[in-house]
Amino acid sequence: MNPTIELNGLEVQLGGRTILHGLTGVLKSRAIGLLGPNGAGKSTLINTLLGFHSPSKGSARILGLNSHTNGKALRSLVGYMPENDAFISKMSGVRFVRYMAEISGLPPDQAMERAHEAFVYVGLGEARYRPVGTYSLGMKQLAKLAQAIAHGPKVLILDEPTNGMDPPARKRLIELIREIREANDICLLLSSHLLRDVEETCDEVLILRNGQIASICNLVEERRANRKFLELETVGAEATFTATLEGLGCECAVFTNGRIKVVMPDNVEIREVFKVAADRGVQIRRMNHRRDSLEDIFLNAMEQTGAADGRI
Amino acid sequence: MAVYKRKYTPYTGPLTPEWSRFFVLTRYALADLFKSRFFVLLLILSLVPCLFFAGYIFIANNKTLQLLLPTGPADMFSVEARFFTIVMIVQTQAAFLLNCWVGPVLIAGDLTNGALPLFLSRPFGRADYVLGKLAVLGLLLSAVTCVPCLLLFTLQAGLAKDGWIWSHLWMVVPIVLCSAIWILMLSLISLAVSAWVKLRIVATGVIFILFFIPAGVGEMFNSIMGTDWGRLLNLSYMFRLILGKGFREPSVRLLGSLDWNEIPIPAAWGVLVFVCLLLLVILDARLRAREAVRG
Repeated sequence: MNPTIELNGLEVQLGGRTILHGLTGVLKSRAIGLLGPNGAGKSTLINTLLGFHSPSKGSARILGLNSHTNGKALRSLVGYMPENDAFISKMSGVRFVRYMAEISGLPPDQAMERAHEAFVYVGLGEARYRPVGTYSLGMKQLAKLAQAIAHGPKVLILDEPTNGMDPPARKRLIELIREIREANDICLLLSSHLLRDVEETCDEVLILRNGQIASICNLVEERRANRKFLELETVGAEATFTATLEGLGCECAVFTNGRIKVVMPDNVEIREVFKVAADRGVQIRRMNHRRDSLEDIFLNAMEQTGAADGRI
Repeated sequence: MAVYKRKYTPYTGPLTPEWSRFFVLTRYALADLFKSRFFVLLLILSLVPCLFFAGYIFIANNKTLQLLLPTGPADMFSVEARFFTIVMIVQTQAAFLLNCWVGPVLIAGDLTNGALPLFLSRPFGRADYVLGKLAVLGLLLSAVTCVPCLLLFTLQAGLAKDGWIWSHLWMVVPIVLCSAIWILMLSLISLAVSAWVKLRIVATGVIFILFFIPAGVGEMFNSIMGTDWGRLLNLSYMFRLILGKGFREPSVRLLGSLDWNEIPIPAAWGVLVFVCLLLLVILDARLRAREAVRG
């Protein structure tokens, strides 16, 4: 099976400046996050993947299709939600989505049906007959998502999808994106400044810095590797408590004020910690099931230079 | 993605042929245009002269009516190449006004709202986009230039009989060809200007300016230099030179003077072709999903 995204020495120059410097990497997950500070080259990479910019060197592929030489075939698989305002202000929402679906090749009747479905699906059913120009910022984001999914793409590219959304709307949008991701045969590429958005929706992350790959990180593996890391705040914990835990195979580090750090092996469940605490009369006042967060990974990538292929 | 399920499902149905998708733009643009009463009024007004021309043809072929008219001799009603040249000139001017209203609406709306990336992120190229928009103008401007002209030709052929159609059939070529040239040039001008300035009202103003200011500058050049070559800047004039040549009518004096041998016909063709190429270059430069800022 082809990797979702394959970058092979990709270099892009715009206006006489090199924006992307020989990106090389393979991303195989179905949900890929694109992270990086402002000016890192995230949008340029997306635009290059869509064929809007031509690489000056190297190549970029999505599902095995070269973005430059197979642009049309590639774009027939793609649904794109741009970062900036992109709509036709005088058209009603549903007509706008239908229009876009027809351009993607859906027959008019099918396009109409899918447009209504997409609008209801993103939660804009009530507003579908209003001109898009009258929508709020959050509604425009949802309308852009509707036009991106109406034609049933195999690859969904979302550029800053939660921009300008209030927390409930953001939560709803993230839920939608996760739902779409769960559907069969759809790959997701999400670019965002918000680490939480990427963490909640993606399995793999490509972190860019100054037009170079700072890191490619598989979040699923990271989550798996760090799943048994506990921080406890206890009252009444004596040496016997930690000794019992160590007897179960845990590694314990005791700090002041009853704070204990416990690294647990795979075969020990959290409830066994509670059981030991109950047996020993130890109160667990606070338990933090902590792992290396995406924030840690991101900050780490920003500080250090990536390996040759960017993997850490 | 059925509504009642509220679940995303991929689309697995049939797709339209890729070559036909440009026409989606045309269809939607025409539907939007015909919602505007002002546009419909403008379209009707631009066809009104054809009613007078049809009346003229009817009188020209009706001896009884001619006798009833208080005007002079009956032979003033002549439907020959000169008549169709005048029809073409009137209708191409009407097409110009229609184009000034319609052309900027087509692209400026997409550009001001940043919709272009949405079109171009689909299996739909810039050429398809331009073709779709050109087709709108092509259909509308044809409806006020070559279509009424051909209908008048058919009316005359039907009324005149006596083999008139066979002796005048050659006129179909200049009607179609000259209309096509004018429509193509007008369409490219309005699309390129709209793509350049992005604002509809400004685009309409710039289209007018492009036709009238260079013509004025050309006349100034002629006066100062004592030449006629300044008229190369007058696109309407170049078009009428070609039109006159096509209809074998060297001296049609309507809406401005026309002297046959001032500018060679190949030079007129050269100007129009050059302008069209220049406009295509502008469209190529401006119609991009993303602009690269130099610096």
